[in-house]
Amino acid sequence: MQRFFLLLVLLLPATGFAQLEFSDAWIKNLPAAVPVRAGYLTIHNPRSRAVSIVALHSEAFASVEIHQTRMQDGMMRMDPVPNMTIAPGATVHLAPGGLHLMLMQPAQPTRPGEVRRITIEFDDGSMQTLELTVRK
Amino acid sequence: MNKSSIAIVAVLALAGGFAMSWIISSGKPIELEAGTWFGDQARALPEYELLDHNNQTLSRASLHGKWNLIFFGYTHCPDICPSSLQTLSDMVAVIEDPDVADALRVYFVSVDPERDKPEVLASYVGYFNPAFTGATAQMDKLKPLTRSLGIAHGIRNRVEGNPVYDVDHSAAIVLVNPKGEYAGLFGAPHDAVAMARDMTRIVEHN
Ligand SMILES: [Cu+2]
Repeated sequence: MQRFFLLLVLLLPATGFAQLEFSDAWIKNLPAAVPVRAGYLTIHNPRSRAVSIVALHSEAFASVEIHQTRMQDGMMRMDPVPNMTIAPGATVHLAPGGLHLMLMQPAQPTRPGEVRRITIEFDDGSMQTLELTVRK
Repeated sequence: MNKSSIAIVAVLALAGGFAMSWIISSGKPIELEAGTWFGDQARALPEYELLDHNNQTLSRASLHGKWNLIFFGYTHCPDICPSSLQTLSDMVAVIEDPDVADALRVYFVSVDPERDKPEVLASYVGYFNPAFTGATAQMDKLKPLTRSLGIAHGIRNRVEGNPVYDVDHSAAIVLVNPKGEYAGLFGAPHDAVAMARDMTRIVEHN
């Protein structure tokens, strides 16, 4: 019985909790005088249930948040999007002029071609690490 | 066709030609793909004085003699400002006629003068294109200019002593003609190729 239970625990991540799929993950480079960067990527949720992003961490930045740029009263403004939810089977695009990763205070200056890692924490307690390439 | 009707046709053709060239010289028939052309509604800017990234004065007279594209933003903006400046840089690269490219100037005016000192602006605009000019001024000097252009901006979530705050701003690109008049506007989202075609059309027609 105990052995069966262990097997069940080992199989769970592979069946019920397929990994989220990340693609086209990049950071818009800026000169060192500017202490913020925006990160962009596409996230696909292959699971049969919704998943929310509860936290983002990185050793490469003092803080990482999801922000959304939108037009209000003739102005572009950015607001944090806490707990962004991705519906079952849905694909979310973080792209210029809309949703983006707000990367504050880079630990090192960024250069095109370099890679930065960010860990995403989901509402089920699972975590995934993402690699973003710095682009011109 | 008799002689008098030939004469009438000739006069009409001539008049039509004059009318056509008059319309073109007044800029009326220009239809922009990516923006709005004000035609004979173009109006003079108020007097203003900004400081550019080389610590030089940028005034109304500085814009004379060139077609000027002006974007208002702030360097701590990670998304809209870099995208817009990249688009302007791509637009310049796409323009094929060197005379058109030579007739254009691109300005980035910061609406966050507290953080955007000339040296910050210099490295920022230079990153996108060494020919671009960055400029700003204290709010009381900046506001009359942005107000006259209809460019909205404002500071939000400002806490005394905290260097992190938000700056909301219009993402439109203002066009000032070689006489220093407000001549057109490009609304967001910006398209480098469409803007390059528009600017080529404008410079070649004027
Ligand atoms: Cu942001």
